[in-house]
Amino acid sequence: MIVRRFFVTVFAATLLVGACGGDPPPPPPPPQPDQDSLRAYNDSVAAAEAARRAEAERLAAERAAEAERQRQIRAARATLEEMVFFDYDMSEIRDDAEATLRAKVDILRASPQVQIRIEGHADDRGSTEYNMALGNRRAEAVRQFLVGFGLAENRFEIVSFGEGRPLEQGATESAWARNRRGQFVITAGANAINPAN
Amino acid sequence: MTVRMVGMRWLLATALGVITMAIGASAAAAQDELPGVSLGLVYANSYLPALAVQPFTGAFGGDMISPQVEAIVGRDLRNSDRFEVIDSLPDALVGSQVDYALWDRLGAVWLVTGEVEGAGDGYMLILELHDVVYGEVRDRGRFRLPSEDDDDFRMAVHRTSDEIVRWATGDPGMAASRIAFTMLGSDGNKEVYVIDSDGENLEQVTDYNSLTESPTWSPDGSRLALASWKTGVPRIYEVDRFGNELRTLPAVRGAGDYVTPTYHPDGRTLAFTVNGSANQSGIFTYDLEAECCLAFLSGGPWYDISPTYSPDGRWLAFNTLRFGDNVPQVMMMPAEGGSAETLSPYEYGGGGFYAAPDWSPKGDLVAFHGRIDRRGRYHILVANLEDGGRVLRQLTSEGNNEAPSWAPDGRHLVFAGERSWGFGLMVVDVTTGRVRSLLGGRRVDLPDWSPALPPA
Repeated sequence: MIVRRFFVTVFAATLLVGACGGDPPPPPPPPQPDQDSLRAYNDSVAAAEAARRAEAERLAAERAAEAERQRQIRAARATLEEMVFFDYDMSEIRDDAEATLRAKVDILRASPQVQIRIEGHADDRGSTEYNMALGNRRAEAVRQFLVGFGLAENRFEIVSFGEGRPLEQGATESAWARNRRGQFVITAGANAINPAN
Repeated sequence: MTVRMVGMRWLLATALGVITMAIGASAAAAQDELPGVSLGLVYANSYLPALAVQPFTGAFGGDMISPQVEAIVGRDLRNSDRFEVIDSLPDALVGSQVDYALWDRLGAVWLVTGEVEGAGDGYMLILELHDVVYGEVRDRGRFRLPSEDDDDFRMAVHRTSDEIVRWATGDPGMAASRIAFTMLGSDGNKEVYVIDSDGENLEQVTDYNSLTESPTWSPDGSRLALASWKTGVPRIYEVDRFGNELRTLPAVRGAGDYVTPTYHPDGRTLAFTVNGSANQSGIFTYDLEAECCLAFLSGGPWYDISPTYSPDGRWLAFNTLRFGDNVPQVMMMPAEGGSAETLSPYEYGGGGFYAAPDWSPKGDLVAFHGRIDRRGRYHILVANLEDGGRVLRQLTSEGNNEAPSWAPDGRHLVFAGERSWGFGLMVVDVTTGRVRSLLGGRRVDLPDWSPALPPA
């Protein structure tokens, strides 16, 4: 299509030029299509098309890979931020919390720039000031667990909120159990999270 | 103050791990079976003399406020829990002249008369305390009151109430004082508030939109130290009563939670807790005047928190987690640190939860709260140091009760109470066991009673 339109255009231009002169010069010989260059031209267009298609496929694959990587990073981030819970008046790491923390260890090893603030919380029973200490004991227990796997201590800061920041209101066992927790806030390297190797 | 350390060692060796609520016969049985600690709701069956308040008179404009002054004084004297107060009597009954025979027939032992005279911008209050039995004036005084629009007006009247208590009993009162505490807002934040000892003048002190905890008065009542999370981590601040910030305690230990401040009676040393700093948590002191000289008193891998000084400044009582996370105990040690003795009835390996100690301004008693009944309820307890801490008196018997703080009279405690109807600040008289509500229906916590407040 493109090629034919080219020839039509050239022909029309030739007629126009011829119509304007006084003594018309002898008409130029009609252009003869060069079959070789035309084939070469057509081949190059097809090649460009193929290359473009390949590039698009490559980009799509890359995007898919990137999306998968982002999904893994989001999952890693969610794992880093997953809370752990404690027994009443205790700061010992429970078995379920240990599994959660082990998953964090692998991600933290793969993401050396990531730093985390560990927040300790308590339920509202007992003593408000004691609960400040208990929350700190819980955060410290989490930090020592993570450091025990060879992670640098200075990657973790701890803070206790005591009973002051409950997840759930209410004087029920389930609310109390949810409020006795360690929370994790990424304070540095949030853009450098790598999924576990 | 006598602290019988020998008795306290004996307590440590023999005290109960678990104490049960003991009333009447069971209290006696507990004493028989387990020498060392007794616990009960037993009060000295104290006789309260009847005190009548004759309607106050007024002159030169003082008649406009004399009923208000009389009402404040009458309520203060009732709150002192030292008298059965007879007031609000009709003028027709009592007249304006003092009639000892009439008051004697009505059963009064003491009679208070008052006259309020206009004087410049304010008033002069002339008070007399009459001994009805002997038919004579026991004491009298003239007190300047500012205008009723002045911020110090009610406090000035409270100071005169405390004078009446001193005339009648020789002991200090507590009417001229305030209580600082935290209150939970609908936004989930906690701010510091103050309220007068009679429940008037509720005022917000801090407006940090954050967690604010453990307000504590300076010994002269001019400043408050508190812990705030407003920067994201808890640090200790000093503010005046209106919340103007005076100082941020530098994070002298580096990282860690800076919490539970308390003033030394000298007013220049602050004791506080740092939790989670370089594996050394515990009680430190800091010289506020020299702005230096951090000293580590106690703690370590365990946690020592909530320090409180004896009134002579030589001892500190505190709460410790050193026996285990779930068995906090109250201990005491010399103010410069050193070996600590257990004040709460802990037996090694046993249970027991005791927290939030506060040392009485008279020096003889340490109040704290403990989880002591089978339902896991918290009650206010008082250990008598004169008895080597062996006798614990339980002052509350319903709901949950936490964080006691002594009034400047050394016989009232304010605490945070939880009842079926909600939360509130309550005051208990250690001598009679009487409880009154100071502020009800609010989510309040960590009250700290001021010293007697001098004129502004």
